[in-house]
Amino acid sequence: MKIASELSLQEKLHILADGAKYDVACTSSGADRRGRKGCLGNAVAAGICHSFASDGRCISLLKILLTNHCIYDCKYCINRCTNDIARAAFTPREVCELTTEFYRRNYIEGLFLSSGVWNSPAFTMERLCETLYLLRNVYHFNGYIHVKAIPGAPDELLAAAGYLADRMSINLELPTGESMKKLAPNKNHNMILRPMRMMADTIAQHRLAAGKSAQMERSRSNRYLTGSIFSKERLEQTGRVAGNTQPAKTQGTKTYALQKMGKTEWKQPFVPAGQSTQMIIGATPETDYHLLRTTQYLYQNYDLKRVFYSAYVPLNEDGALPAPDTPVPLLREHRLYQADWLLRFYGFSADELLSEQRPNFNEELDPKCDWALRHLERFPVEVNTAQYETLLRVPGVGPKSALRIVQSRRYGKLDFAHLKRMGVVLKRAHYFLTCDGKMM
Amino acid sequence: MTVFTCKDSFEAMMTCIYAAWASGIGHDDVRLQLEPVFQRELFCTYVHVEADVQKTEKVVSAIQKKISYEAYRQVFLASVSCGEDRLDAIYRFLVLGFSVGAKLTGMLFRPEVMWVLELSRKAANEANFFREFTRFALADGIYVAHIEPKCNIVAVTAEHFADRMPSARWMIIDDQRRIAAVHPADCPFYMTELSGEELRRLKETEAEKDAYTGLWIEFFQTTGIEARKNPGCQRNHMPLWYRRHMTEFLV
Repeated sequence: MKIASELSLQEKLHILADGAKYDVACTSSGADRRGRKGCLGNAVAAGICHSFASDGRCISLLKILLTNHCIYDCKYCINRCTNDIARAAFTPREVCELTTEFYRRNYIEGLFLSSGVWNSPAFTMERLCETLYLLRNVYHFNGYIHVKAIPGAPDELLAAAGYLADRMSINLELPTGESMKKLAPNKNHNMILRPMRMMADTIAQHRLAAGKSAQMERSRSNRYLTGSIFSKERLEQTGRVAGNTQPAKTQGTKTYALQKMGKTEWKQPFVPAGQSTQMIIGATPETDYHLLRTTQYLYQNYDLKRVFYSAYVPLNEDGALPAPDTPVPLLREHRLYQADWLLRFYGFSADELLSEQRPNFNEELDPKCDWALRHLERFPVEVNTAQYETLLRVPGVGPKSALRIVQSRRYGKLDFAHLKRMGVVLKRAHYFLTCDGKMM
Repeated sequence: MTVFTCKDSFEAMMTCIYAAWASGIGHDDVRLQLEPVFQRELFCTYVHVEADVQKTEKVVSAIQKKISYEAYRQVFLASVSCGEDRLDAIYRFLVLGFSVGAKLTGMLFRPEVMWVLELSRKAANEANFFREFTRFALADGIYVAHIEPKCNIVAVTAEHFADRMPSARWMIIDDQRRIAAVHPADCPFYMTELSGEELRRLKETEAEKDAYTGLWIEFFQTTGIEARKNPGCQRNHMPLWYRRHMTEFLV
């Protein structure tokens, strides 16, 4: 094994990008920030992809590990301590220079910094914070930063990272405690959910201090949807009330120590793009229903901005893992993402899509079509009179085309030719729609 | 039929619309066309219109006040898009707009409105793509980018970078149209036309390689997962013609 300092920057980049590539949470969305004179960068709420890798996944951020040295032995991970692989570590300045120089050439939208657990969670988190501090205050980088929170790191370090980064994430990895014990013996759910809870409450308090609502912004279509998982009624059922003015106090939970930082710190954005997490699918026996229920629970109770799914790619041989020639469950991952969109944009809930009796998605049909076929009694719907909410449930109609329909039908009647030009996918939609009483 | 023709610029188009309207010939008897006009039709009178700043301002403020800001946004984007008949499309859109007012952009069942929406969407989508895929190379302390968009969206793209890199010196060059957005440090950017010689010299910057070019290619190649290889998906998100000037595909 080579010692880190002997490696060239290019070799380090190879090792540490290779180690980070299996993490899927690589979006640059959620934060909106104008550029400033003397600084480099801004942030766009919708996020910007800069390239697409050979696997078709977007490259938006410089996704690297600070180091792939790790003291943990998570079975599925390429960087586990029992693997004999080349190890390397960046210095904080190397990360800063790579980020700013790539950013100036418009290769990337920002930095995604993760790390193996180096010596201890505290030591690793401190190095991460040091890197972000340098990047923001010495290199004057004003672009997007996504940083991993290391489970088990001290609260004050996580808080410090929160003021420097746009998004933070802690990977849940596996949705049940048993799977966790089997595949990630050094971690447990409490180590992950406790910081996630505190982070969520701290974000909520900062949002309230800045005059926003406690809950993160969601797709605008949700305000017209009564059954949305983010609607006030649904959130009240979970015990986390929408628009709660004092989420932390009423819940009796702790937030990160802000009192030390004085009054003005409250106005400083804290993780403005919210939290995200990821789950590995296909390495353990959980069903799609279980995964989707967990996703919904995380959106409602932890106010996560995104939940990502990572199809398990066999990297290590281990008795506890699927065989190395197991195919990557790409279609299953795709179906889960489709369902995730249905939760966040279309007002569906997990229980509508799947149940104990039907715990997995149909591989042949997308979840929305599948739902529509099981509810034929609701169709066809009349384009010229149906509610926005009803239109959104039609396969082939999305938030944008549904909005165009309700806006334009105020001034005249619509027919199928109009729908087509508005962006409705008639191939799927025409079975479920009528225009002025007629089918296509 | 009277055909009003003008050069391919926003000012000229607005002036042309003003002239066609003010001529009083009647909307059904005029047509607007962009120059160059390759084949003239029989029984048509052709009238050339020169750009005029005051008339442009009048048209723009009328659109914003009498129709809506959204309509103006769509007209502007449609004017930089790449449809041959976009000028006439804008004219028909405005004819309807000045009679119905602010509800114009909602009337998507009218072909005039849909037409302009489609044109503006095309330009906006392309501008968005070039926000992503524009690549700068460092030459003599200036970051230079070459692009060849189908729509004339250099200025729209440059606006994004002006906010992003306010204190850097950079320029974005449209190789086909021979125009460039030039941004001095801490100043607003300006548009300029390039001579053949200037363009030839600036083209050399694309071959410029430094340490970070190599590092980026290394990163780009490493970050794809072999077990998930999917060139079809990659092409869907990033069609081949966009890759002409992208660093990672120049190897």
